[in-house]
Amino acid sequence: MYKKVNSTASVEIDIITDYIISELYRVIFVHSILLWSYFCFSSHTKETEEGKMKTVSALIEIENLSFQYPAGGAEPMRALRNVSLRIEAGEYVALIGANGSGKTTLARHLNALLLPSAGTVRVEGMDTRDPHHQRRIRSIVGMVMQYPEDQIVATSVEDDVAFGPQNLGLAVDEIRRRIEDSLKAVGMWELRHRPPYLLSAGQIQRVALAGILAMRPRCIVFDEATSMLDPLGRRTVLNLIDQLHHEGITIITVTHFMNEAARAGRVVVLHQGRVVMDDEPEKVFSHVQELEEMGLGLPATVQTVQALKAVSLNLPGGLLRVDDLIRALPDYTGGKTPDVELSPPKSHSLSTQSALVEVRGLEHTYLSGTPLAQRALEGVDFHLAEGSAHGILGSTGSGKSTLLQHLNGLLLPQAGYVRVGSFLLHQKDVDLQSVRCFAGLVFQFPETQFFEQYVGDEIAYGLRLLKRTKEQIRADVRWAMEIVGLDFECYKDRLTFTLSGGESRKVALASILALRPRLLLLDEPLAGLDPLSRRELLTKLKRLQREGLTVVLSSHHMEEVAELTDELTVFHHGKDVMRGGVREVFDRVDELRAFGLEPPVAVRVAAALRQRGWHLPPGLIRPRELAVQIEHLLVRSSYESV
Amino acid sequence: MNQFEFLRYVNLGQYLPTGSWIHRLDVRVRILAAVFLLLSLTLTGRPVALMIALMGLLALLSLARVPWAYALRNLLPPLPFLLLLAVLQVFFNPRPLVTDTLIFQWHWVSVSMASLLAGVTLLLRFSALILTLSLATYCISTSEMIHGLEALLSPLQRVGVPARMFVMMVQVMLRFLPFLALAAERIAKAQASRGAQWGSRRGSLIQRARQVIPLLVPLFLTGLHRAENLALAMETRGYDGESAHTSLFAAHFSWRDALAVMVVLMFSVVLLLV
Repeated sequence: MYKKVNSTASVEIDIITDYIISELYRVIFVHSILLWSYFCFSSHTKETEEGKMKTVSALIEIENLSFQYPAGGAEPMRALRNVSLRIEAGEYVALIGANGSGKTTLARHLNALLLPSAGTVRVEGMDTRDPHHQRRIRSIVGMVMQYPEDQIVATSVEDDVAFGPQNLGLAVDEIRRRIEDSLKAVGMWELRHRPPYLLSAGQIQRVALAGILAMRPRCIVFDEATSMLDPLGRRTVLNLIDQLHHEGITIITVTHFMNEAARAGRVVVLHQGRVVMDDEPEKVFSHVQELEEMGLGLPATVQTVQALKAVSLNLPGGLLRVDDLIRALPDYTGGKTPDVELSPPKSHSLSTQSALVEVRGLEHTYLSGTPLAQRALEGVDFHLAEGSAHGILGSTGSGKSTLLQHLNGLLLPQAGYVRVGSFLLHQKDVDLQSVRCFAGLVFQFPETQFFEQYVGDEIAYGLRLLKRTKEQIRADVRWAMEIVGLDFECYKDRLTFTLSGGESRKVALASILALRPRLLLLDEPLAGLDPLSRRELLTKLKRLQREGLTVVLSSHHMEEVAELTDELTVFHHGKDVMRGGVREVFDRVDELRAFGLEPPVAVRVAAALRQRGWHLPPGLIRPRELAVQIEHLLVRSSYESV
Repeated sequence: MNQFEFLRYVNLGQYLPTGSWIHRLDVRVRILAAVFLLLSLTLTGRPVALMIALMGLLALLSLARVPWAYALRNLLPPLPFLLLLAVLQVFFNPRPLVTDTLIFQWHWVSVSMASLLAGVTLLLRFSALILTLSLATYCISTSEMIHGLEALLSPLQRVGVPARMFVMMVQVMLRFLPFLALAAERIAKAQASRGAQWGSRRGSLIQRARQVIPLLVPLFLTGLHRAENLALAMETRGYDGESAHTSLFAAHFSWRDALAVMVVLMFSVVLLLV
């Protein structure tokens, strides 16, 4: 009833409500579009802003950095000149350069251990000069250094890893969690209660890395962190680095080893304090000539690739890792395998010569009778022919150094027979001083044992103890210096601490050679040197050996061993587990791996080629030999097919 | 015996984790107990007290489940020196008291009751001190030691004494010693292989003193070099000596710890009073 009465009015109302509703919809629609576009737009601008932020400040930004070490009185040494670099988050950068090129100096600027003399270094936009930022910067950029044991602060592994987080003032639970995480990441959790001096160098280095990881850095600088490690320790640390890089941590590695630099995504070459190259490794390592001039070499893999390409073997570009190279090796396609007798490269025939050293059933235990007693040698046999060059391989703690020290009477046999020349060391009345002159031992890092002010006196030390006449001392020092390639007049009055790494190594070698030993024992003679000094010293040693000196060399670097020696003994847990000619031993790839050793690249490539049908003779250990054999094979097969 | 094993002489880290009742005590209690014992042994002058102390120490060794023979072996290396000192004490006691009873006299050499007692006291005192120190090293690992020291000394930090710095110094020293021993060993060997005569007793005193220079100079330089590297490593890990620092030490002081402290304290007082 009521409705009908007001029908016209109700229609009017309907129209009005319709209008209002449609109007509302419109408003909502328009506004939602506006809102939506606003959100889109605003998020879009945010993104571009972030992008801008990224391009504006990289993780590490170095502008016109110069640095000079303060030098009292003397002219200041400019270690870095106008270096500019940007390192983005997530990069893997290798810094290479000869000794004294400023690599380590640059690395120490990255976390404010050194502050620029001019220019700026910014980490996440923070200037390293600002003391308020330093702690934050150091928690962003961690650093693992060269000498493992110098980085350990505490008396147990666990406490040491806690040191960084403790300094950050974190809560105890958080610290405990981080200790566990980082020790597990480096595989040292089981040994967390050990005191550090009972660990091997490789293990200590992993603890040092865990100590940095516990601070959860965004970037880790490895300053020659693998140079003191044995092959196994080095491989472990390198794999850890790869893994960290995959997890998004920025990696900067300073290294003398081109093989390691080749693993990075970007290689920066420093020369006399300047950045001279900054590119992908592939491109950097194609500048063979320039690298050579700066005292740098090529990675063994690249050397092998070049040798193979020179004999027109088909290989793709960009092969920097051995595994990539091995995967890329072609199958043998040149007709049927030539049925020719294989002639391995010639080795010295050694058995005919008289033995200069004879060791049978040698036993040695360190710290015997204490809880720390450690068996170092167990029934070791060792023979050395006069005039030969013998390599000793094995991981740290396998007994290499212990054997060397028995050969010059520093350690006396606890059981067994040891004859060196005409000296019988297992007998009580042996004249140790004469033994030590007969068999000169050059220790690892011999330059850390210098104590005289002048080079000449340092070399003359042993001669003076032997009470030689002045004239004779002078003559012997001169002779020894010329042999290692140091000019007598020019170097005899140099101060020992002003020598470069390569020069001091030569002085150390000369100080042993001056005693005119018949047998030269070398413990890691090339460790810690840059590629140029390495090459020089290797040449000198080769010459000495050719001139009739018998040489025993222990080394972690297979390429060096392949260059210098003709016989090998492999040690493992104090036993001599493999023995023979260098070519035969290196060909037993699987056994070597079981003992934690990695044969030279050329050997591994040769083995892979053989598997792919290449009829290569055994015993190829240098890239050039391998290339020559491949060329023979290619020439012969093409000749036969014609 | 190897003339170059310097690590043999570093007696640190001889911690024996036997998990005994003593090992499970709060580390602060163990440190305090050792300090009480050392103090009372140094201050007491009576052979009877020292005898009691020795018996107490043997009991403690058993409690710590350390074989007596193993602990007593530590007395062997210094024994010749101790005996020499004791003999000197007995025969050349400078001023015999008037009340003293003379046992034996020959020219200016005299043995009296007091000097005999003094000799015995010296022997007993040093044996007890050595045993206490050995016991402490068997029962307190170096890392516990650091934590304990930190906890004991941290109240001093509030008064303005740089306790944390001190603990850090002790810690670095403890961890450096074995490495320095190893470095010294390496250097001695290197010089020996260049003709230096280590261990041989030939030559005059001056000649032998001169042998030490080639050892000391490189050792000093290596030490400095390492200290520098260590400082860098510590800075890298955010150490600046002053600012806040979390201690990992978790206190778990129980009635057993209180009991142990009381017992040792009383024992020490008894030693002083006997």
